Amino acid sequence: MTAETVTAPQARTSMREAHRREARVGYAFIAVPMALFLTLNIFAILYAFFISFFDWGIRGPREFLGFANYQDLLFDDPVFVEKAVVNTLRYSFIVVPAQMALGLFLAVVVNQKIRGQTFFRAAFYFPAIASSAAVAVLFTFITQPDGLFNAFLGVFGIASELNWTNNSRTALESVMVLNVWTTSGTMMLFYLASLQSISREVYEAAALDGAGPWQAFWRITFPLLRPAHYFVAVVSFIGALQMFDQAFVIGGGDGSPANSLSTVVLYLYRAALVKFDFGYAAAVGIVLFVAIMAITLVQRRLFGQAPAW
Amino acid sequence: MTTAAATTETAPDRRFSMRRAIAYALLIGWSLLMFVPFVWTFITSLKDRPEALRVSLPASPDFEAWVYTWQSIDPGLPQRMVSSLLLAAAVTASNLFLGSLAGYAFARLTFPGRDVLFVVVLATLMIPDQLRIVPVYQIMNFLGLINKNPTNYLSVIIVLAVSATSIFLLRQYFLTIPRDLEEAARIDGAGYFQTYWQVILPLAAPALAAVGVLQFQGTWNGLFWPLVLMGQEKDHWTLPVGITQLQGAFDTNWPPLMALVVITTIPILALYVYFQRYFVEGIAAAGVKG
Repeated sequence: MTAETVTAPQARTSMREAHRREARVGYAFIAVPMALFLTLNIFAILYAFFISFFDWGIRGPREFLGFANYQDLLFDDPVFVEKAVVNTLRYSFIVVPAQMALGLFLAVVVNQKIRGQTFFRAAFYFPAIASSAAVAVLFTFITQPDGLFNAFLGVFGIASELNWTNNSRTALESVMVLNVWTTSGTMMLFYLASLQSISREVYEAAALDGAGPWQAFWRITFPLLRPAHYFVAVVSFIGALQMFDQAFVIGGGDGSPANSLSTVVLYLYRAALVKFDFGYAAAVGIVLFVAIMAITLVQRRLFGQAPAW
Repeated sequence: MTTAAATTETAPDRRFSMRRAIAYALLIGWSLLMFVPFVWTFITSLKDRPEALRVSLPASPDFEAWVYTWQSIDPGLPQRMVSSLLLAAAVTASNLFLGSLAGYAFARLTFPGRDVLFVVVLATLMIPDQLRIVPVYQIMNFLGLINKNPTNYLSVIIVLAVSATSIFLLRQYFLTIPRDLEEAARIDGAGYFQTYWQVILPLAAPALAAVGVLQFQGTWNGLFWPLVLMGQEKDHWTLPVGITQLQGAFDTNWPPLMALVVITTIPILALYVYFQRYFVEGIAAAGVKG
């Protein structure tokens, strides 16, 4: 492309013309997607940031408030801070490590020389194909007092008549179990792709040096999976911090029982579409966005550089 | 439904050993944990209302709950299926076209600012959908798409028209296609669009299939944007939105609800059984981020 040995001025201008043409085509090809990204994502964030400084409803006078929305949100809104934020953090810090550990475990197991590898891989991913609304409803049903889950516990001698999703002390934990169940298969596939890219020779060399499988895993596999850890952690965290569907369906739309299923995103949704307090809702969203960026950067530090982010 | 597959794959291993037995027991146990809740959902849909609350097989299995769901849900199931299908098909088609067009430009064409724009595309993955509720709702309202007409569907289609993931996955695949073929086509006088359309797209069929099934599944299952943008317009409610309605606050009638869960899941199940490879490869490709 950059063959600059051509000396004839005509050839050079036609070359430049060809480059210009290629650039024009390039912009034309990305025009529609970029227009959508710029309006529905980039503009959307800037707009949300702007209205978060206002008392902004559906209609009526819009009053500039300065940081009042943020102040109310962070200091005078116990439901937001003590319920929504605490629940979301508790949920994320338990679900993310659990999904990662289980996803990695399943990936290592499925990557062994076993029969039916394709079947097990497909089976472990299976719950992820269903709609989150469908899965949330079937989970609510299974965890009824006389449901399958309590019967399953009974097999192990644990007598339980709990209504797991409708008890303020177990509702959030139940949703944790639900999401680990549905999503660890996805995390397994993420890990599996990276596992398969580690060359056999590394393990053979380690085996020659007398390393057992346990040592090989911790000394070779685990560190070599660093980019995968980063990717899985980021995807899993972003998903966990934005948990909505399950809390919405199981918590009946308002985080019941007793705000135990109130999450940041559900709070944002209610502020916007139930209370129509758009300015306040935008402030919630900006706080969440900043938190996601911060956590992504921390994870980048933790797991080292990763490409493209 | 899926248990039939389980029995064929778990043939006993010839080199039997205690360790292998335990490993397979765990694998099979975990698989069961993945399937049983869905099978149980189907079984429950065959029961009557009081029976649903007991852990037992249905005494006289019938499809009464299915009929009840069919008759009682408003708007009806055919209309909801059309809504779900319309959204899923339109969003899938648009992601395949716009995603491959942009993916091709990012992979192959040289233009100033290309890499910066690509990073902008990827960075949008960090923006929570919920932060966009208010602006996107207002943009759609401004465009006159929050309404009672079928143009209401457009609001959801536009929001989901092209995802960063689609562009990313297709770009990665285009990068693996040898340049010779395109150069040959260009020497034969094909324009850029013609080369993309007639040479590159046919070669990228596996990647297009992977993006296609994942987009279709994601949109069919999607609850959030249909709820936010079409929540006021009953005629456009999809199957997942129906699930949230049927679930009563206190006294849920489980068998019809379970029937609806099965009905919502069956098309995706069929897609998964048929295109399993593309689901798994699509997800895996997203995992190897360079």
